[in-house]
Amino acid sequence: MEQFLLQNSWWIPCYGFIGAILTLPWAVGIIRRTGPRPAAYFNLLMTIISLVHGFLVFRITLGEDPQPLVIHWFTAADLDLTLMLDVSSVGMGAVELVTALSLLAQLFALGYMEKDWALARFFALMGFFEGAMSGLALSESLFLSYALLEMLTLSTYLLVGFWYAQPLVVTAARDAFLTKRVGDVLLLMGVVALATLSGTLNFPDLYEWAETAELSPTVSTLLGLALISGPIGKCAQFPLHLWLDEAMEGPNPASILRNSVVVACGAYVLIKLQPILVLSPVASIALIVLGTMTAIGASLVAIAQIDIKRALSHSTSAYLGLVFIAVGTQWTDVALFVLLTHAIAKALLFMSIGSVILTTSSQDITEMGGLWSRMPATSIAFVVGAVGLVGLLPLGGFWALYEGVDTYWYGQPWLVVVLLIVNALSAFNLTRVFRLVFLGPPQPKTRRAPEVPWTMAVPMVALTITTLLVPAILQRLYLLPDWTYINGPAVVLLMLSGAIGFALGATIHLNRTWARPIQTPLKFAQDLLAYDFYVDQLYKVTVVWLVDRVSRLNAWFDRYVLDGAVNFVGLASIFSGESLKYSVSGQSQFYLLTILIGVSILGALLTYLVW
Amino acid sequence: MLSALIVIPLLGAILIGLLPRVSSSHAQTGAEVPDYSRAIALLAVTLAIFWSVLLGFKFDTSISHLQFVENMPWIDALGLTYRLGLDGLSLPLLVINALLTWFAIYSTDELLQRPRLYYMLILMLNAGVAGAFLAQDLLLFFLFYEIELIPLYLLIAIWGGAQRGYAATKFLIYTAISGVLILAAFLGLTWLSGASSFGYDPSRSQFLPLATQLILLGTLLIGFGIKIPLVPLHTWLPDAHVEASTPISVLLAGVLLKLGTYGLLRFGLGLFPEAWSVLSPWLAIWAVVSVLYGAFTAIAQSDMKKMVAYSSIAHMGYILLGAAAATPLSILGTVFQMISHGLISALLFLLVGVVHKKTGTRDINILHGLLTPERGLPIIGSLMIVGVMASAGIPGMMGFISEFIIFRGSFPVFPVQTLLCMVGTGLTAVYFLLLVNRSFFGRLPVQFSNLPPVQWSERIPGFLLATMIVFLGLQPSWLVQWTETTTTAMLISYPTIGAVGHSLTQKDKG
Repeated sequence: MEQFLLQNSWWIPCYGFIGAILTLPWAVGIIRRTGPRPAAYFNLLMTIISLVHGFLVFRITLGEDPQPLVIHWFTAADLDLTLMLDVSSVGMGAVELVTALSLLAQLFALGYMEKDWALARFFALMGFFEGAMSGLALSESLFLSYALLEMLTLSTYLLVGFWYAQPLVVTAARDAFLTKRVGDVLLLMGVVALATLSGTLNFPDLYEWAETAELSPTVSTLLGLALISGPIGKCAQFPLHLWLDEAMEGPNPASILRNSVVVACGAYVLIKLQPILVLSPVASIALIVLGTMTAIGASLVAIAQIDIKRALSHSTSAYLGLVFIAVGTQWTDVALFVLLTHAIAKALLFMSIGSVILTTSSQDITEMGGLWSRMPATSIAFVVGAVGLVGLLPLGGFWALYEGVDTYWYGQPWLVVVLLIVNALSAFNLTRVFRLVFLGPPQPKTRRAPEVPWTMAVPMVALTITTLLVPAILQRLYLLPDWTYINGPAVVLLMLSGAIGFALGATIHLNRTWARPIQTPLKFAQDLLAYDFYVDQLYKVTVVWLVDRVSRLNAWFDRYVLDGAVNFVGLASIFSGESLKYSVSGQSQFYLLTILIGVSILGALLTYLVW
Repeated sequence: MLSALIVIPLLGAILIGLLPRVSSSHAQTGAEVPDYSRAIALLAVTLAIFWSVLLGFKFDTSISHLQFVENMPWIDALGLTYRLGLDGLSLPLLVINALLTWFAIYSTDELLQRPRLYYMLILMLNAGVAGAFLAQDLLLFFLFYEIELIPLYLLIAIWGGAQRGYAATKFLIYTAISGVLILAAFLGLTWLSGASSFGYDPSRSQFLPLATQLILLGTLLIGFGIKIPLVPLHTWLPDAHVEASTPISVLLAGVLLKLGTYGLLRFGLGLFPEAWSVLSPWLAIWAVVSVLYGAFTAIAQSDMKKMVAYSSIAHMGYILLGAAAATPLSILGTVFQMISHGLISALLFLLVGVVHKKTGTRDINILHGLLTPERGLPIIGSLMIVGVMASAGIPGMMGFISEFIIFRGSFPVFPVQTLLCMVGTGLTAVYFLLLVNRSFFGRLPVQFSNLPPVQWSERIPGFLLATMIVFLGLQPSWLVQWTETTTTAMLISYPTIGAVGHSLTQKDKG
């Protein structure tokens, strides 16, 4: 039985895909009489199956050696594409996280999307999403990881574009796809180059190869940069970060997954790539620099947002920036730790604000207030999520950040500063959002605000409890530091940074009626942050402009120069034929003259040549 | 065995020709003789599909040389032999030829004018293409290559759009020039090497001086380059596609362009391996130019059909890249890419055809919100997303694995050119995403609020093609096993470039 479960663990990702396929009759509209609900139930069932299967395999693999599962997918000529799955406790743990969060998000979606006519399509996409993510968690082959990352890109595009009739959604879906696609194409270049250089695409073989490989610095730098650009796009890091902000136009249950585990999948691939990235110091430096820029920049930008989802999505970029720093400094343990705790806390925060959005039908935090007494479960979820995210009280986020601080304490103290700044800024931001949404007097949109129905409340409360239990889970997994070795100053500094952020957020003057400062520098700063440092404008005048111009120029050249030349040849031959026909006059003296002239020209030519 | 693939459609065409004349106004009166031409055409092509699938099953994948050979002297004085043969290069193309002809006939409007002539011409086209893929005699290939022109010219010139005369003539002149160049190269090869027949013989060119080989290969390249088409010989293609009706576009993109790439592999690489290895760096650069030029031009198009047409040009560039690299893997990839491009572009053209039929326009600046359920075209839109994503190379579909094999096979030989071609896949995403975003997302304008409903008969071809694209994307081995032995064997007489590529890999490994 155990062996059977292990051998068939490649089914785990397939369950999600099967669920997606099963919804098709409802999504396409072949079955209408039942309404779209059965499609959702199929997906929930498949998710539960994969959760159970994953859990059983996890139990088996716990404390045992990983047993890679190798599938020879495609063999041709000298190419052997094997799909290798990592059936180990780490991989299975990641699968469990993905499927559990997916199950909660799908339950949540049952309530959140209740009135949407396209419920079946939504669940099809969620099943696809889940399948691709659990595949990524298991994948031990760069080829498979790349393929699944691309599938995630596609499903992100479709989920963001779910409400495709809205103009903002249209641009958001486009940008999400194209930005990620830029990263993916660069990653593909890296994959192809790596496959050629090393002759394999399975991670264990690649690690072996990387230990002995000697590449020229240019090749290794380019390779490293190509490999990291896929995760950069997927994790919304500078300079490919804009899509996550725009993607908040999509339905909220998908945002729950996107901000917690989807971005984590990109980072997970990066962590897997880390032993190869060691070949290129430039790539590691790039990871640290980009991670730092994103972590601090996105934390600042988040503060200026008034859209409730965007305020939180920028903080996702910031935390993933911390993960990038950790990978760049080769501390993958820290990276995994941050990913795990961030995923749980962020998912909870997104569930909480999902409830707020559904109840108030608004995403603008300046229109909210006074929800705490009306929606107690939602408020508690937000508070717990926020505490679980920042380093203040000993929940998950604290321990993850502490691990980072402790790791960098001696070697790279300036990274400790980055961590503390990010922690303070996110505490500040979360306090600010909490005050605007839940405290203060109720406003028109929040006056009649009942607590959400049970389909949404149950997953939210379940996740609240889970977030509270994260330290206990960490304890069980022996991830918490031993009390005797604890770094006292680090704890103090971390708590202090969190407390400062919290205190500032609690005391700063938040006025809902004048959202715009009058002082020019302040106004400028607010605009700068609110519009994300105008990076989108920068793209508009550089990359987008360039592609647009080149394509227009090309089309013009094609139409007028190339095709013009072709048409000119055609016209010229018709014209010459038309003119020559007048030479056929029917008068014999004219023909004689023509012959005479022709013969004399030929004669002259011959004499000239012979001479 | 093999002649049946030519004879069945021809018999069908003759049978349709013998049918009694049906008045074109039979739709109104209804009392006239029913028109059987469509049914006969479908039956003939279905038979051809079964026959080619049967051949596929009987085909021995472990043998690299020709199978089911038919040899019949025809005109001995000329050296012309009726010699047909099948190998792993032509087998998938034959199947796709039969398959796409079926789709083309199935998706033809049933109220078409002059149906008998139309279906006869399509069947003749099918026979001509099948003959060209089977011919193992240079002159015989040329004959089939030219014969296929006539029905296609008429199909565009009679049932095309407003500018059909211009487009059809342009197509005819271009392809006739291509035929003349190919003939010149074949004659040159045969006469200069002193052979007495036109039989296909890869070893024939090896005693010719390199300069002569280069000239002959250059002639051949331009000839097939027109058919493929490669930039700058491509301007007939967008016009022909825009003016041709939907089924003809499907055949043109799905099957007829493959004659060019097939010829490139069989007669360019196959007959002139030595000259090919000299020219191949330039061919790779040519491929890059084609890919990027096609992709960039596609971005600026507003007509859906033109966009798909330019994307064809870009995707054909990958085939040239793979052929230039000439590693076992890249050649395999080119065959795979031919099939995947055939299926994907057929799907895209079919869907564009439905959109055009329902809305009356193909302009992406006018179309909006077609995904809207109830009043829009939601299923056509979903299939369009599948097709577009397959073309952009999203894994899980055919477009990805074929491009991956080409890139993986070409990278050791031409790293820079391969990377530049990969930029093309990114650009594919750009223009196709623009297409979907502009015309299918957004709000449905009032002018399109009363679109005629889409019949299931219009969706079924799209569903079938999409299923095939996904299935072969997940199970590429099924297709590859047919081809692999042949493509590997093709390169046995071609050691030079493979060695170069290999040494490069070794050097990189240090």
